[in-house]
Amino acid sequence: MSLHDPTDVLAEACAAKADGFVELRYHKKRTRSIAVEKGRVDQAKISEHTGVGVRVLEDGTWGFASTDTLEAGDVGRAIDSARAAARSSARKKKEKLSGLPTAELARGRFDTPGYDELANRPLEESLQLVLELEEEARKSSSSISSAACGYTEIFEEKGIVTTDGAKAWTRLVRPEFRVSAVAQKDGELQRGAESVGATGAWDCLFRGETPEGLADRAARMAVDLLSAKYPDGGRMKVLLSPSLVGLLTHEAIGHTVEADFVQAGSCAAGRLGTRVGSDLVTLCDSGISEFYDGAGGTLAVDDEGVLTGRTTIIEDGILKSYLHDRESAGHYEVAPTGNARAFEYDDEPLIRMRNTYIAPGTSSLDEMIAGIDDGLMLDGPQNGQADANGEFMFGTRQAWPIQGGKKGELMRGVNISGIAFDVLRSVDAVGSEFRWDLGSGYCGKGQPAKVDAGGPWLACEVIVGGRTQ
Amino acid sequence: MSPETLQTKPYDAPAQEARLTERAEQLMNLALAAGADEAEVFGAHSETISVGFEKGDLKLTTVDEGTSLGLRVFQNNRLGFSSTNQSGASSLETTARDANTLASFSLPDEANVLPEPRALDERPTLVTPEIAAYPVETAVERGHDFLSRALAVDPRLSIDQASFTVTRHTACNVSNKGVRAAESDAQLGLSVFGMAIDGDDVGGFDYWGDSLRDASRLDAAMDHSVRHFADGALGNLNAGAAETYRGPVLFAPQAFCEVFISPLVSASSAIAVQRGRSALADKIGERVAHESLFLHDDPTDRELAGAATFDREGMPAGKFTLVEGGKLSSYLYNAYAAAVEGRTSTGHASGGARAVPGLGPHSLSIAPGDGGDTAAMRARLGRGLVVQRFSGTVDPASGDFSGVAKSARWVENGEVVRSVKETLISGNAFELLGQIAALSTDAPTLMGATRAPWALIDGVSVTAG
Repeated sequence: MSLHDPTDVLAEACAAKADGFVELRYHKKRTRSIAVEKGRVDQAKISEHTGVGVRVLEDGTWGFASTDTLEAGDVGRAIDSARAAARSSARKKKEKLSGLPTAELARGRFDTPGYDELANRPLEESLQLVLELEEEARKSSSSISSAACGYTEIFEEKGIVTTDGAKAWTRLVRPEFRVSAVAQKDGELQRGAESVGATGAWDCLFRGETPEGLADRAARMAVDLLSAKYPDGGRMKVLLSPSLVGLLTHEAIGHTVEADFVQAGSCAAGRLGTRVGSDLVTLCDSGISEFYDGAGGTLAVDDEGVLTGRTTIIEDGILKSYLHDRESAGHYEVAPTGNARAFEYDDEPLIRMRNTYIAPGTSSLDEMIAGIDDGLMLDGPQNGQADANGEFMFGTRQAWPIQGGKKGELMRGVNISGIAFDVLRSVDAVGSEFRWDLGSGYCGKGQPAKVDAGGPWLACEVIVGGRTQ
Repeated sequence: MSPETLQTKPYDAPAQEARLTERAEQLMNLALAAGADEAEVFGAHSETISVGFEKGDLKLTTVDEGTSLGLRVFQNNRLGFSSTNQSGASSLETTARDANTLASFSLPDEANVLPEPRALDERPTLVTPEIAAYPVETAVERGHDFLSRALAVDPRLSIDQASFTVTRHTACNVSNKGVRAAESDAQLGLSVFGMAIDGDDVGGFDYWGDSLRDASRLDAAMDHSVRHFADGALGNLNAGAAETYRGPVLFAPQAFCEVFISPLVSASSAIAVQRGRSALADKIGERVAHESLFLHDDPTDRELAGAATFDREGMPAGKFTLVEGGKLSSYLYNAYAAAVEGRTSTGHASGGARAVPGLGPHSLSIAPGDGGDTAAMRARLGRGLVVQRFSGTVDPASGDFSGVAKSARWVENGEVVRSVKETLISGNAFELLGQIAALSTDAPTLMGATRAPWALIDGVSVTAG
């Protein structure tokens, strides 16, 4: 791992080409990963992807190029290429940018705890743990036909320098752990899976559950789902777990308030200052790990060199803010919110979420279950998507019927859908216990981004895609 | 390179293949010197021009190139893998050392052996001179042309994102077993993503795109992509309700692939079968779908993006039958899965330079049926739901699927009567593949990657919101 500040070389290259806006982003990404299935090692990997992404603003038009070295001469040539690309396209640009708004740009060193601790931890120890847990999951029941377990560490070091004042060196590490099991009975297969991800070391990664506990839960889920039935579908009251609340905030709301999507006409356009949810709903996106350390999308500085912080998107049900990069902030005449993120050095920054959540309320889980006469309790996040019209969907692994305020036996997971703001308006209870629970997730929007999301348990109304008889 | 204009040299495929192979051999030799019994390097080099549009205007032009090398070593049948995009001598030495360090404490597995070299077909190059020499200015011009065509269709269309890309790519594979394979490719790519907005009515998004190696097809591909996108996005306006029922649903080719073909192909992985997570275990020669289903993987089809002469391990890639008349013909094998069973790879190692080879198809092609054109398929449906895209979850092990029907339409008397929203579909893909009622007589290309027909499938659960 590098111990040298990369921003000096970038500043030197920047100074040599200072006639116009230049943004240089050195990004060293080193990934260590192991994966085991059914006692066999499928992946034992170390991967490095390093270079400098160059973005320039020339004649009101963006240009981008990159180089895989941190040599001032190569970076200078990449600046020339980016400028030439911008000039080549400027005549086709309708609305030229007059410049970027001022922002609180980062200067100095920003280290997230855990980097050195994991860098010094031998991967051999992690492999042993993964092997043991996969075996434990596989042998926990005669119904289990297969199990898999994996562990990944992503070490990221960045240097960001801009001609208007950013000069930041950041380091962080994001570990991920996942375990799954497949149970089989009479030719039918069911899968159980658990995963966690964090920004920080193992104290953050395994804060909520031990690795052994996660393996046990995945195996039990697979076996229990074999004998579980499918719920019926329809519009109904549901109680969403913190991980599913995280999916709701990310998929249903977060994407629709990304300012680039708003400008294209998403359902959040023109809604600032209006009621979009019940007054129990306060929803934020933050570069900081609020409530406790380790949220998986944590970053101190975004990829435009803007200091991150908390953005309150919805406060007491009223839409307060969109998520911005510097360009969209200029368009809306607000301050950038630090949401510009690029996956790797050769990707350009896009408006992305970080840690998105619904703030905790006052209800206990028991009170919330007791408050539902006929509905479902849902847990276990799978994939999700959102649409321009606010229609969202996401999958769940497990469901429990709630009848007369009592929780019933496990049923198979379902996909749920709804119109984002309609669902937020239907929220009538918000739990008091907060949890980050999507740290192993990636968001896809042309390029991946490591994000986290969470919240408390939450009661609302959605459409459930059950099996219609 | 001049700072005023970007003078790009034509992509010299033979020279790139030679350079990449030389670097790959250098890393392979370093790995052997560092203690590997066996070493294989996959190299990938690409040069791209990407012109991106957002909100109906040009956003960013990117000119980029990069090279990655992926090293797989075995020490006493123990796996180690490392990759790098760095070219310096010390980086290559570190990469060789990393892979060997990992192999030193990994578990032995008798199937961890590199494949013996096999003869590759002689096929015409995938690189045309026109795309090899495609200038940045032309890419900007044609990208803008593409955007303009989309915006001209209807003022209600909002283009969230569109892109025009030029990709020149070289891949190589070398191993100490004697594998030497290198091939280059050059493609143009189009994509458009957005929605229609009519007053307060914001329709669901839609997208389409294409990839092509023949630049003379560009105008036709632009028109087709724009028409497909516009029809979908405009059709999503004024969405109403569907009805809840269980019965026949008409799937557009993309949705058919997402819901039914994807789990079928996943379960056809020999590794999935060997590891006990495939519903197709012991099903070779047995009926796994309706007799009308014929599914091939065809990397010889030059019109599809996945055309290739060899796979990720340098093994020959040829036309391959997965399902014939509804019966499962074979599983897919890479070298590892083949070694487990003591047979040869089917040439289905997949992936890039940054991970251990995976397992998957190159270019899927589903044969058309005799159900007639799209109108005839709607007539067969009579009354019910048409799903054009699927936004949901398909479990590759169980085959259970559940999700939202996107760009969905409600049909009565064989005619579309309205767009629908808030409608979920669910079922089990492996069960419902046996209930294909009809496949259309055409099998269009899906964004340059796959050929598939429309499919009318009975027994699907539809839940209307």
